[in-house]
Formats: sequence, C-alpha cells, structure tokens
Amino acid sequence: MRKTNILCLIVSLFIAMAVITGCSSGNSESKTTNTGSSEYSGTTFVLGDTTFNAENGEPDINPHNSYSGWACIRYGVGETLFRYSDTMEIEPWLATDYELVDELTWKIILRDNVAFSSGRNLDGQAVKECLEHLVENHDRARGDLMIDTITAEGQTVTIKTTEPKATLLNYLSDPYGCIIDMEAGITEDGIVCGTGPYIAESLETDEEVNLVKNENYWNGEPGFDNINVITITDGDTLTMALQSGEIDAAYGMPYASYPLFENEDYTFSSCATSRAFFAAMNYESEIIKDQAVRKAIAMGIDKEGFVNRLLDGNGYPAVGVYPDTFSFGGDAVTDETYNPEEAMALLEEAGWTDSDGDGIREKNGQKLTIRWCTYPSRQELPLLAEAVQATLGNIGIEVVINCTADIANVVSDKSAWDVYASAMVTAPTGDPEYFFTTHCLDSSVANDGSYHSDKLETLASELAGTFDADRRGEIAVEMQQTILDDDAYVFCSHLKMSMISKSTITGLSAHPCDFYEITAELAPAK
Amino acid sequence: MNPQNVTVRKPKIQKNYTKHKLLFFIILTALLMLAVVFANQLCPYNPNAQIFEPLETPSAAHICGTDRYGRDMLSRVLIGLQTSVLSTLLLVAIITLFGTAAGVLCGYFGGKTDALIMRVSDVCLAFPGLVFALAIAALLNGGLRNAIIALAVVSWPKYARIARSQTLSLKNSDYVFAARLSGDTSVEIITRHILPNIFGPILVTAMLDIGTMMMELAGLSFLGLGAQPPTAELGNMMSSGRSMLQTYPWVIISPGIAIFLAVAVFNLLGDTVRDYLDPRNSGK
Repeated sequence: MRKTNILCLIVSLFIAMAVITGCSSGNSESKTTNTGSSEYSGTTFVLGDTTFNAENGEPDINPHNSYSGWACIRYGVGETLFRYSDTMEIEPWLATDYELVDELTWKIILRDNVAFSSGRNLDGQAVKECLEHLVENHDRARGDLMIDTITAEGQTVTIKTTEPKATLLNYLSDPYGCIIDMEAGITEDGIVCGTGPYIAESLETDEEVNLVKNENYWNGEPGFDNINVITITDGDTLTMALQSGEIDAAYGMPYASYPLFENEDYTFSSCATSRAFFAAMNYESEIIKDQAVRKAIAMGIDKEGFVNRLLDGNGYPAVGVYPDTFSFGGDAVTDETYNPEEAMALLEEAGWTDSDGDGIREKNGQKLTIRWCTYPSRQELPLLAEAVQATLGNIGIEVVINCTADIANVVSDKSAWDVYASAMVTAPTGDPEYFFTTHCLDSSVANDGSYHSDKLETLASELAGTFDADRRGEIAVEMQQTILDDDAYVFCSHLKMSMISKSTITGLSAHPCDFYEITAELAPAK
Repeated sequence: MNPQNVTVRKPKIQKNYTKHKLLFFIILTALLMLAVVFANQLCPYNPNAQIFEPLETPSAAHICGTDRYGRDMLSRVLIGLQTSVLSTLLLVAIITLFGTAAGVLCGYFGGKTDALIMRVSDVCLAFPGLVFALAIAALLNGGLRNAIIALAVVSWPKYARIARSQTLSLKNSDYVFAARLSGDTSVEIITRHILPNIFGPILVTAMLDIGTMMMELAGLSFLGLGAQPPTAELGNMMSSGRSMLQTYPWVIISPGIAIFLAVAVFNLLGDTVRDYLDPRNSGK
C-alpha cells in the first residue's frame, strides 16, 4: 500500500512539472528572439502568416513561380520597378522615370545606387535578363505584359510590346515583376537575390523562411537584424502563437480572435483592399439561366448584415467590382439592394411558386434549389454561404452548400454547381482591366460561369486600346454596370485587411494592394 | 455469524445495488431520449433562424446565448442532440445487426464464407479506426449519411468476431446437437438456440459502443465530414465555435456539455447493463 502511495506521489509530481513547464512558455521577450533552428544574433522579428504555403500558390519566394512573387515582395526580399502609393497610384521604385516613346515602346530609367544582395549592381542588363526569364517561365506575366523585345543600355531599359499596352507599368508593379539577379540564379529551395531590405537565407516550403538584414540596402537601414516568417495555416494556432509571444505579428488572424488583441499590448494596422467576396452565376445551369432567379438571388443577399454581423465590421458592403477608394469604384455603379419582398414578387411573377407548402418554390415540378459552391481557406466564405442560405431560404430558394478545398475540380465541372462564391483581389494592379480580362470575357481563364455579353466584349476591346486614365475609368464603370444589370455576378463585400503586431514593434502597416508588409521601416519600438 | 451466510448474502446485496443503479440510469436515459424525441417541441426558437443579435451572452431569453449567425444556441443544442443521438442509435443498430449476422453465419457454417468474411474484417481491423473512417467519409464526399456509412464499415468486424466466437462454442454444445438430432433446420437452430444465447454479450457491446460511436460521429462532423450546414449537429457546432473558445466560450461549451452528458449517460448505462448481466453478480 505504501509503495503504491509513493508511486502515485512520484507520478503526480511528474505531471505537475509537465503542466508547469508546458504552461510557462508564454514569457515573451527573450523567447521571440530565438525561434527556429539557426542561432541568431541581434534583434529578431517573427511573423506568423496563414498564406505562405504551397496550397495558396506560394511555395517559395521565387517571383517567376506561380504566386510566389507575393512572398518575395511581402517579406522584403524583392522590389519592383514601380510601386503603388497608398492611394494606389503608380510611383517610381527601382526606376526613377519612364517615357512612352510611342504606343508600343516604353523607356524606363533605373536608379543608379541600387545593388542586389549578391553584390551585383542593378542596371539595364540585369533587368532585361530578369524580365526575359519571367516571360519565358510565367504564363500570367507573359499574357499580361505582351513583351516583344527588351533592350538594355546602361541604366536604361527599353521595352517594346506586341500590342499597345496602357497598363504595362501597372503589370510591372505586380509581385511577379520583382527584379531579381539572374546571374546569382534561383536555388533549388526557391531562394532568389533581390534588392530589398532583407536577404533570404534559408527556406522550407510550408514551414518558414529566414531572412537577414541587407547591410547595403539602398533606401535606409532595415530595423531588424533577423526576420523569421513562419507558416501557420490554422487561425486558432496563429491566435495562440501571438498570445504566447511565439510570434511578434500575425497576418490572417480570424475575426473572432480580434477582441483578444484589442488592448494596449498590441497594434492593429488595417486598410480597405480590393479583395472582393463575390458570387458568379453559372450560365450553363438551367435554373440560373432564368434572369428572375439571378435577380432574386442578388436581391436576397443581405450584404450589410453579412458585414456587420458576421464580419463584425471588418469589411465593407460592396456595390460593384471595386471598393470606393477607386474613382471608378463604390457608388459609381448601382446594383440590386437587399429587398426580400421584391425578390419574392419577382419569383412569383416568373412562375416560381411554393405549391406544396414546404417553403421551397417550384416551377414545372422543378424545385428552386441552388448549389452554392465555395472553399474554406478564406474564412469569410463559409460564413457568407451560411448567411445566404438563411436569407435566400426566407424567399423560398433552397441553398445547398458545397464548401470544399478541392474547389478547382468542382468548379471545372459545370454541371456540379449553380453559384460559385470566391474571394479575389479585383484590382491588384490599381487598374480596372484586370478583373474583366481574368473573369468576365470569352477569353478569360477564370470565366467559370461561361458568362457572355456582346456589350462587355466591345467595351473590353475599347478599354484595351485606351491610354487616357479618365476615359479608362468611365469604361470601367460602364463595364461593371453591364455585368450588374445582367445579374451575372453579385459582389457582397470588400475585405478590410488587418495585421496585428505587438506594441513593441513599429512600421508594420497594411497597404491597400496587400503587397508590402516587411519594409525597412519595420523596427523595434523605441 | 456463520461466515457461510456472509458469502451468500454479499452477491445478493451487490445484485440489488446493481438493479437500483440500472433503474436509475434507465430513467436518465429515458429522460435523455424524451428530450431527443421531443426536441422540436422543446426548442424555444427556430434553430436555423438568423434573427437575433449575434454572439449574445447567455441570458433569460437565450439560456445558452446566441451564435455568430444570431441563432439561439439552446434550440440548436437540442436539435443537435437529436441529430447526434438518433444517428448514433441508427449507426449502432446497423453495425450490431450486420456484424452479428455476419458473425453467426461465419461461426455456424464455417468454410469458405467464413474465411472470406473474416479476411475482409481483418482488412477493416488493420487500419486505425477513425483514420480509416475519415478516408471513407472523404471519399464519399462527407455528409451525415456518408459519415454513418464510413463508421459502419469500420466498426462491424468487432460484432462479427464476438458473434462468431460465441457461435463456434455454442455450435458444439449438447443442446444444439440434440436439436439437430430432433430434426431442427439450421435456421431454426440459429434463431432458437444460438441468437438468444449470444444476445447478452452483443447487447453489452452495443450499449458500451453508443458513447464511443457518438464521439466518433461528432469527430467526423467536427472535421467537416459529417453533418453539413445548416443542420445542427453537436460536432459541427463545436467545430464552428472552436475559434471562439477564448472570446465567446458559450458557443463551444454548450454543445460540449450536451455531448458530454449524452455520452456519459449512455456509457454509465452500458456499464451497469454489463454488471447486471455478469454471471458473477447473479447471486445464485
């Protein structure tokens, strides 16, 4: 008996020790300076990011690979020739000036005090090599830039396009336009040499990337000696990592966790982005072909309610494609407002009635059931689906949700869905053309619902050949109104993007285009 | 007192105690089942109506608060409990019937059928249960019905094995030989002599399995492979409230308590039934 007691005591002691050591890992300051395998000296900043992973198209930081350019520019490794200001206007970055020689020829003058982290100076030849490699390897860039020839001379690069390309500078400011040293090359891990404030030292896909300060950075002194970006795809893990002090800042925090950080120990940096949560109608579905149904869906979605109740105000109800920070966005267009009564009247008129009293309307024996497909990696989308299920249910439309990570396969089968809700950045280049060329035209790669409009096609070709910014804006408004009048798309909300950092950090600020995160300004608070 | 008397009385007291315990847990289970059957009538509000302020703290109007969509949590927990308990009972019924039938056939007839069915059951037992169920449910595209199918595929071999081993020993007992000599057919022997005698152990296994199955079904739903929205089910309610554990705990705690109570009641009932049917407690 005594032996058992002693044994119990020893076991209890071990458990108590385990609990104490397990719980005490939250003590931050010194811990955050040493994460990962390598030994750091000096100040270290640890960022937890939900998006830096292969599933999201960002397996590494090679801008010529899929969407990895986003990681390259976000983590301060690469920089582009031009960049976006806070008001989304183009301003010089690695370039100092440009000249439009004729409709097809652009002459870009480069900064002369910039060097790659490999030591090589940034000159016309380096830019030429990089862009040539880009269009050779990156399908999206090839289609966007339409580069015919590139010639380099000292600090000047001359780019000739195959067609007039009014938005060339915008596209060159896309993350894939990061200028990297092709002589230094791209390592097997996908590490590149850029001109940014930090240099990538080691990278493990879906795990982390370790960065060190670029001592010879051309535009000021970077604030940290080391930076460690950790991939944390689960929102709850990210929350607890920031709470325990394992990370210093977080990107992609679930809204439900915001109240935990709304105090003086943390800083929020938020701004409106052009990322829109929108639903595309499938024109190959018989039910959706009925415009009354499409209009009723548009009228039956409570955008205000979705933003205020489910996103807790972390978003903006959308009208058209672009948020109101753009001159051609926001209220420049009109759409169907939330009006369940009118939606019901519209459906009645079109012959959709609830004859069997089960709450779901029918017409010619067919139930008004729509298959709403979406995906879970953007946390707002499943919430939107369930909110829509309730409001459309009230007007007699049954919504069956298919929320799957295997979205590409589901969407490619046009018989498997009626409405596809997704989240896309609608103006990553600050210009309206991108959304339409990607989603709404006959030639668009992501025209998932097979939408076609003669009017839109005509306007699109006019937009492509227009260089005047004001006129481009006017055409964009007309194009948005066309797709809204057809009820081909319903734009529900725009994302308010937030990054949360400890209050001991300064200089981490959200940018409307979501490209710039880690910059030379990021530093420990004084 | 004569020591012999003590040894005789002890099992009797034990038996009485078990009987009372059994009665108590049967009453608890009956109450639970009443709540399950009359969940629709007990709900104070429509469980799917998104009409209240989201994330309201528990109050007199909403005893369990509201969720992020502005739905009454108590109504959802009641309906969720109904979904979970009824689907679990259906699942346990399926595996008990199918597993027992397969086991008895194998044990009684033997031969190639026995070898075939037992090898299939070996395959099912070779994988870790929940992981295998997860794979099947994912293959079938999720949904409550498919989650039940997945768990049924994984869980039937246990019953088949118990039924088979019991049948094998009963098959060679004297009364079965006697029945056969007096001209009973195989069907008669199975239904009259074998099934009634293996009923006890199968019942105990099934009772004890209800809690486990409820947890596993809720587990699949938690991972998104069970009930789909807007169906209220305890597992998916806990999953959607997971990120609010620190900020709005009632969203996850109320379905958590419901699942705990239901599983505890079924497990305790199962344990007591086992004690009650245990021959060592028979008092003879």
